[in-house]
Amino acid sequence: MSTKSPSPGIVQNASLEDRLYTVKYEDPGESHLDVENPGICTTCHEDACVDVCPAKVWRKDADGTPTIAYENCLECGSCRFACPNENVIWTYPERGAGVTYKKG
Amino acid sequence: MTDSTDNGTESADDQPTRTPPPAQPNYDNTFDAIVVGAGLAGSAAAITMANEDLDVLMIERGAYPGAKNVFGGVMYTPTIRDLVGMDGAPIERYVGQRRYAMLTEEDEIGATVNIGDWHEEPHNDSFTVLRGDFDEWLADQAVEAGATLITETTVTDLIRENGYIVGVETDRPEGALRAPIVVLAEGGNSLVSEGAGLKPAPDRKDVAVAVKEVIEFPGDSAQVIEDRFRLGDEDGAAYHYFGEGAAGKSFGGAFIYTNDDTVSVGLAYRIEDSITQGINPEKRLNEFKSHPAVAPLFKDARTVEYTAKTIPEGGAEAMPKLVHNGALLVGDTAGLVLNNGVHLEGTNMAVESGYHAGKAVVEAFNSIPATERTAGATAAGGQTARADGGMVIPSSHLQSYPDRLEESFVVKNLEHYEWLIHRVTEDKELLFEELPAALADAAAEYFAIDREPKQVHGARAKERVLGTLGGLRGLVKLGWRYRKIVR
Ligand SMILES: Cc1cc2nc3c(=O)[nH]c(=O)nc-3n(C[C@H](O)[C@H](O)[C@H](O)COP(=O)(O)OP(=O)(O)OC[C@H]3O[C@@H](n4cnc5c(N)ncnc54)[C@H](O)[C@@H]3O)c2cc1C
Ligand code: SF4
Ligand code: SF4
Repeated sequence: MSTKSPSPGIVQNASLEDRLYTVKYEDPGESHLDVENPGICTTCHEDACVDVCPAKVWRKDADGTPTIAYENCLECGSCRFACPNENVIWTYPERGAGVTYKKG
Repeated sequence: MTDSTDNGTESADDQPTRTPPPAQPNYDNTFDAIVVGAGLAGSAAAITMANEDLDVLMIERGAYPGAKNVFGGVMYTPTIRDLVGMDGAPIERYVGQRRYAMLTEEDEIGATVNIGDWHEEPHNDSFTVLRGDFDEWLADQAVEAGATLITETTVTDLIRENGYIVGVETDRPEGALRAPIVVLAEGGNSLVSEGAGLKPAPDRKDVAVAVKEVIEFPGDSAQVIEDRFRLGDEDGAAYHYFGEGAAGKSFGGAFIYTNDDTVSVGLAYRIEDSITQGINPEKRLNEFKSHPAVAPLFKDARTVEYTAKTIPEGGAEAMPKLVHNGALLVGDTAGLVLNNGVHLEGTNMAVESGYHAGKAVVEAFNSIPATERTAGATAAGGQTARADGGMVIPSSHLQSYPDRLEESFVVKNLEHYEWLIHRVTEDKELLFEELPAALADAAAEYFAIDREPKQVHGARAKERVLGTLGGLRGLVKLGWRYRKIVR
């Protein structure tokens, strides 16, 4: 069965940049995320960290090492659970830095 | 985990972190209990203990309680109402209407439930709320009961001495704080409990990733919401969606909840599926919002906040050990969330577990004569476990917490629906993809207007559904597999 949308495109989804812009953020100054062993990432084909992240924090360079845009992080914790190699080092930004949700 | 036995160096006595001075007596000049996390479970535990004159310290990493918290959501309030009442609670709307719908890529089949009683107090104890407001209010109730709250402070580790947990390390300078009891109410991303070996790291099959947006409409946003969702001034709607159009080819679902003048929209599904099915949560959210049956609800909407979080979904089987020497696990830290497609409940379980944990701690303290609550005393009697000679409480004295929880709706519900989660996992493709598609097709047949007799359409509709289920025999089998759903 196939009934097409009566009015396609009536929802204007915000871009990720605009979405992240809605969240109050205080830069802790250094990354609260890291990988234990970048070598493991270069041979990892799953890229679970990239797939699961709702804020495009994780990107893999041509050689397979990850770049971490930690200032995008929403502190959801998903990448920590997702990595099949337990390779994600995950800590909280210190002293309440990072995201502050007004509504939540 | 630090294991410090050198006398006094980690004492909290000289810490400047105790804003308002404690009203209660403080037996050995430290706190009776430290609560890690001022979320729902933490505040409920703190209220319960402070009500019985224990000296409680709550430590919260956010700028205020709620600043780091996200949920759908509907707050279920039976226990909160008993503990502190609902006067002044920052609720958005009571839930007067629920809708459950299956989405294929293009179709929707759903049912709305609108119960008369829900419109009367106490509104089935179901209210849409925003956690930024609600958690702060609940923590305030704990402070009013006498607890001390410090914010912008992250607990980084537990202090263990001679097999007893005797305090916490924080990210403040000289941030060690000591107490005979530590209540771990840190939510599902339990870095402290896991780091200290109190619970194993959950499997990614047992954790869901969730994203959510709060949106608002131009002009009189509340009026637009009431018109679009057919609501009055105070009642709200809770919509749950399943099937491919909601969470893609994954085990999960999407939700829409109406607040006072905003709407919460989001989805959650297993992290495992994010990887095996290559579904990105942000992209999936866009697709859900653009679904032809959903999009008209969000016409002209503007995103005012974007958030993400995880949900523990391991159920009763994944529940860790709840008590340790000097420590208790509550709420999401203990994995107490019921998420089976029909129910998404964690708030009531968090509060209930915090309450029972608090009660158990009070009982443990009461079992020790006041005169013995001094240096060197232990609830176990005999050995001095703490380097500073302070009191310790062995897990055996806290056993009433898991015992009470077993008897409460929390564990009973988790256990009751354990089978459902297993079944639904096994039947995922049938239930989330094939059956919704078959039902949509069948409905299209059944309601088709053309020059063929209705009987012909009816027969085809029946065939379409039975074909998917494997005939009548398949339907009976499926009914049998899910018979307990109404028990
Ligand atoms: C998207 C989504 C939708 C949901 N929808 C619903 C719903 O509609 N209804 C429902 O009943 N349930 C829902 N739930 C589940 C519900 O939100 C949780 O079960 C509930 O919030 C658990 O409460 P908690 O107190 O255990 O944990 P949390 O609410 O997570 O509180 C933990 C607290 O501890 C703090 N903290 C964490 N670590 C530290 C540390 N190291 N030091 C100091 N502080 C720390 C955090 O900042 C936070 O304040 C939903 C969950 C999600 C993610
Ligand atoms: S999933 Fe883990 S191992 Fe693979 S790239 Fe990401 S962090 Fe590295
Ligand atoms: S915690 Fe969440 S938002 Fe942050 S990097 Fe990991 S997956 Fe992305």
